[in-house]
Amino acid sequence: MTDLYGPFLEATRNVFKLMLELNDVSDHPADSFSCDDELDVSIGFIGDLKGEVIYRLPHETSLGIVNIMSGMEFDAVDEFVTSAVSEIANIISGNVLTMLAGEDLTCDILPPVLRKPDESGEYTFHNACCVTTSIGDVCLDIRLNQAE
Amino acid sequence: MLWKDKYELGVPLIDVQHMELFQRVEVFMKVLRSSASWDEKVEKVNETLEFMNAYVVEHFRDEEAYQEKISYPGREEHKKIHTDMVNYVLAVTEEYESSGYDEQLMQKFAGKLMAWLINHVAAEDQRIAAYAISKGVAKND
Repeated sequence: MTDLYGPFLEATRNVFKLMLELNDVSDHPADSFSCDDELDVSIGFIGDLKGEVIYRLPHETSLGIVNIMSGMEFDAVDEFVTSAVSEIANIISGNVLTMLAGEDLTCDILPPVLRKPDESGEYTFHNACCVTTSIGDVCLDIRLNQAE
Repeated sequence: MLWKDKYELGVPLIDVQHMELFQRVEVFMKVLRSSASWDEKVEKVNETLEFMNAYVVEHFRDEEAYQEKISYPGREEHKKIHTDMVNYVLAVTEEYESSGYDEQLMQKFAGKLMAWLINHVAAEDQRIAAYAISKGVAKND
């Protein structure tokens, strides 16, 4: 199966650099990710790849993202913060689509939904990684199947 | 401040409008996020929303005319992105009005608008500028 981990990591780096000026982004195994309060944004994939990618963000990371973008101080993960972070997940996934198109994979994405991963599904490609930045971590939980 | 100098494209017509658009979105966000009660700020929010929505449409129209003028090859795709956003803004505005000015709906709208706008200007619009500069037409307003 095509490398899916790479495009998600590259798209996350690109978007964080462009929109948040976060240049020091590194990736680690998912077991290094832990937090008590998190925002889980699921982006559904359809087309040549089916499934979902869940962006798991500790509240600290969500607030850091919105503080940087807005230049304002946010101290709670409310509707504004949730919506802004969901749009970031949407933008990263959109960038992934462009990269996958270069691999002859035609996909589309569904609007962001706040939810935990669907643990009942079985996926050919199930990988997770922890992306570390100066404002906190983000866990990318990738759960996709290639269409027959 | 919402606007950052790095968003400048080097195309005067578009840069001036982008700065204005960012300023309007920032004012909208500041009113929306102020500590006043919703009853106290809803009128100001609605006024700002109305002004800003009109400006978004005006800016998109001017930017599309500019793309046409310089024969930007990605203009149809870019126009679709604009159309999708205008339709989203219209749908939210309608839902907001029919909800009796629901605050949570407006907070949600503002969060998405901010992230969308930054990405659109920092990524999508940079492609127009790169094309205009490569063709030597960036200063052609």
